Amino acid sequence: MVRKKILLVDDSSTVLLMERMILSKSQYDVVTAKDGVEGVEKAVAEKPDLILMDVVMPRMDGFEACRKLREQDDTKAIPVIMVTTRGELASVETGYAAGCNEYVTKPINGLELLAKVRSCLGQ
Amino acid sequence: MSDPGSRRNAEQVNADVERHGRDLQKVNERLRELVASLRSEKARFAPDGRSAHAAMPVSTSSAEPADLEVRRLASELALAREAVEHANAERERLRDRLTEIEAENRRVCDEYVAVQERSSEIAQLYVALERIHGAASRAEALVALQEIVINVIGSEELAIFERRGDDLVLSQAFGVDPRPLRKVRVGAGTIGRTAATGAVYVAGRGGEPDAGDADLSACVPLRVGSRTEGVIAIWRLLGHKPGLDEQDQAMFDLLSAHAGIALGLRARAERVGEA
Repeated sequence: MVRKKILLVDDSSTVLLMERMILSKSQYDVVTAKDGVEGVEKAVAEKPDLILMDVVMPRMDGFEACRKLREQDDTKAIPVIMVTTRGELASVETGYAAGCNEYVTKPINGLELLAKVRSCLGQ
Repeated sequence: MSDPGSRRNAEQVNADVERHGRDLQKVNERLRELVASLRSEKARFAPDGRSAHAAMPVSTSSAEPADLEVRRLASELALAREAVEHANAERERLRDRLTEIEAENRRVCDEYVAVQERSSEIAQLYVALERIHGAASRAEALVALQEIVINVIGSEELAIFERRGDDLVLSQAFGVDPRPLRKVRVGAGTIGRTAATGAVYVAGRGGEPDAGDADLSACVPLRVGSRTEGVIAIWRLLGHKPGLDEQDQAMFDLLSAHAGIALGLRARAERVGEA
């Protein structure tokens, strides 16, 4: 079976390490980016099957990065899960308006994240 | 020469004979029809469906095949009842087995969830340790502590203090006004008392917070051996976080045991480097 590739975009090394631990035990390949700009670049270069995107990041936030991904033909179909401390309804609505497929709040619940990752990957 | 009266009598007799002959022929035809009807009836009641025309004489009573049919039906009914009873017993057995399998399935699912949750908890603790001890400098260790509080515990209002003599000096603040927190006397208020006692404070568990500390959710002493070298103060939790749980308590215990050592070692290394 071909391993799915997931791009993690977060400026926090703690979150990247946490997500990597949760996902790698489920046999996913993981690549990382530290902000929205690098996230969009890595999405174009790596063609991941899924992107986990933080919201509050330097240079370009997650909402803007998601909109950029949806504007480009080669990235517009990649599912995006927002992973953020912003749990307010307004933020959730902004995330979906930007084109995200799912919304997960921090602190990350491993079971919830895995369930949404599998759902987005059609597994 | 025949007598005309005699001839008339002979003609009369011939006519009578012909009439009686016709009558006999009619009776004969009626008898033939009756026999055919009886044979047909007998064939209808034959037990194996075969025509009874050849097997049974016309004179056999029609009650006998009817009795056979009743006995056959009674036997079939008994067999059918037995089959129904067997099917009912099998259905009950399968229903019991299904109940067992459902209970087993629930137990396995519960165990799976518990294992995944435990795995997630251990992963969080591992990540915290990795970040605290993997920091290359005191500043990196402080950033790691801040990220742990924000992303793992779930609060965007925190302050990290380090001890200088009898005071706690503010080293890092996020989401709170740092001005009133620059220096806290050891023993003063909930934060100072945490440094004095070395015990983790969690709102709602144990002692009451001091006046002015009502928004504090937790205070974690950063210990090096028996001495408290600092405190992490945590105010309001993220809106979607319902409260602090056992997993958070485990994280506080880990931070209490390791964060002080990590900060102290890096601060000492930097002092040595400067010297």
